[in-house]
Amino acid sequence: MRGWALPTNTQFTTGEAFTIGFAYFTVGLTVAVLHVSDGTAPWVMVGSIFLVNSVTPTLAYAAVTASGGSSAAGLFSGWLVSTRFGLFAAAIAPRLWPSKTKRAVAAHAAFDPNVALAMRESSDANAQRVYTAASLWLCVPWWIGGLIGTLIGSGLSDPGALGLDAVFPAALLAIVWPQLRARDPLVIALLAAIAALLLVEITPGGVPVLVAACAALVTLRSRD
Amino acid sequence: MLTWVVVFALAAGVYAQRAAGALLVDTERLSLRWRRVLDVLPLAIISAVVALATLSDDGELIVDARAAGVVVAAICAWRKMPMFVTVLAAAATTALLRAIT
Repeated sequence: MRGWALPTNTQFTTGEAFTIGFAYFTVGLTVAVLHVSDGTAPWVMVGSIFLVNSVTPTLAYAAVTASGGSSAAGLFSGWLVSTRFGLFAAAIAPRLWPSKTKRAVAAHAAFDPNVALAMRESSDANAQRVYTAASLWLCVPWWIGGLIGTLIGSGLSDPGALGLDAVFPAALLAIVWPQLRARDPLVIALLAAIAALLLVEITPGGVPVLVAACAALVTLRSRD
Repeated sequence: MLTWVVVFALAAGVYAQRAAGALLVDTERLSLRWRRVLDVLPLAIISAVVALATLSDDGELIVDARAAGVVVAAICAWRKMPMFVTVLAAAATTALLRAIT
């Protein structure tokens, strides 16, 4: 299996590949089940899986409209919560291929773990290979999970009983953990987490993460 | 409930943001300092996402079995266990706590 799927001479491991696949499979499965049980037509769900290529905005839309918000408010909320994917795309941009076409394709797959794993690499070439591999290990299982979830519909009683809602934060935590040994990254991580928790109840979805992203500016104060 | 119109609108908005991020950052003119900010940006965002996915639900703070699962994940990560073990331990802890409470 070595090769493009598990690029050699990089820090990307087989274990990480399978874990991301498993985590995003469960995300796809549970979210598709949720939307279809909520009345979304199966083909619309399939379209959403590939076109939106993220569950955050559709969940935000469903949450706002289910609690009585207008469709416009739901859309706005969906766009707002997905600003983090734009930031991830910007973060990985300096490491990506110069070709605009390749960047335009790569942008559609900008998620949390694949960007973080690619950016661990010191050379741009390796970052690109890891980004490609990790994107496939993430997207393919999430698409398959989403398709299976669409087929199951409301058949799956309660994904929470299996503890699947802990999979996503646990996988992301495991990815960033090694970075927390240094002082500045630890400060940034804590600031971001605290800011997000302080804001979650008083601001619309997406805003807590946007404000938390500003913790990255801490790195400007160290000079060299 | 999602409709085609909603899906197209969300897809356009999300892709526009992703494409803007990937295409508008002028790599060559980016100073080293701002490059460093971009380098730690994923860490800041992921930390916020982990905190929210662990301790909130639908915009409200809540401590439930998930939090215990993520604490177990943190211990596994600290003990340098493989990521797959870390994630399974988190799910198992959460499921177990829900089963017995």
